Amino acid sequence: MRIAHRWAAACLLGMLPVAAGAKPIAFARGTTVMAEYGAGTMNELQLYYAPRYWYSVGGGLLELKSEDGSKRRDVAYLRGNLLAKRWNLPNAQANVFAWGGLGTARGNDFDGTVLDRNVGFQGDFETRRVYASLQSDLHESSRYSHRIDTAQLGWAPYAHDYDSLATWIVLQGRHYTGGLFEGTETALLVRFFKGGTWVEFGATTDGKLQAMAMFNF
Amino acid sequence: MKLVKAMLFAALVAVSSMASAKTIEMDVNGLVCAFCAQGIEKTLKGFPETAGVFVSLEHRIVAVQLKDGVDINDAALTKAITDAGYKLVAIRRTDETLDAIRSRVSQQKAIPAVDPSKHKHTMGDMGGHD
Repeated sequence: MRIAHRWAAACLLGMLPVAAGAKPIAFARGTTVMAEYGAGTMNELQLYYAPRYWYSVGGGLLELKSEDGSKRRDVAYLRGNLLAKRWNLPNAQANVFAWGGLGTARGNDFDGTVLDRNVGFQGDFETRRVYASLQSDLHESSRYSHRIDTAQLGWAPYAHDYDSLATWIVLQGRHYTGGLFEGTETALLVRFFKGGTWVEFGATTDGKLQAMAMFNF
Repeated sequence: MKLVKAMLFAALVAVSSMASAKTIEMDVNGLVCAFCAQGIEKTLKGFPETAGVFVSLEHRIVAVQLKDGVDINDAALTKAITDAGYKLVAIRRTDETLDAIRSRVSQQKAIPAVDPSKHKHTMGDMGGHD
């Protein structure tokens, strides 16, 4: 498991200069690959396939590390994502996603493997100039409970079109429960996307790298 | 008899107009990002009648250039856009090529949120996931 996670982390690091993630469902009959390096506290790799525009199935690898290094979780999970509600407006779109899954987890403060249960939701609103999202992701087992709450506010300096590069400035706040990180981890990010490729990177107020990549095809 | 002839003539004109349309232009709600456009483009390119697809996020339009002598009916278009997760607002058939539409919209400012005069017919509450 740890070797797999190290391999995944190496892939993430290799992707950072060009890469980074967002919605768990991009479009019908589409595959989404997402990778995130979350300031050393959270690293995640996800792969989903969406048979329809309103659901996708897949899985991921999640690595959680506490700020002081005393706790570490390595989780491998399978997950289903549901687009519970979408509002298609003339110049905007809003979505509510929910997901749930099961996996296995190992930790450095307990022996063996435990069953990991995962649930979460995301609400977002976007125009071509403004983006806002709120996400909560809970991983729970008999040995731990970690919830990662993430809020993002984005602003685009210009309105992009399909054939042009989209550029966003994003302010992110993230809160961890379960003794991973005290307080709220704040990051300022720059996001680019064009076609099916999305890259996002920046730094937290502690100067740690935060990056994410998503590819849809 | 005159009425029957008039109806036949009108039907022939309508069919001829549909058959000669080169491009279908649709107004779609919810088009705000490249991923939206990517999904719709992929769906519409799956029609055997499709010669090309153009998406403008700024003008909220999706245009499908048709192969010679064929058409895609409104029900199929509605299903395609709805199944892609977006809301179809209006459909127009024109003789413009995709390049002409691309050129036209590049010279226009973004359309306002409501522009009924632009619509040949509106699709009302025909669907979408909202």
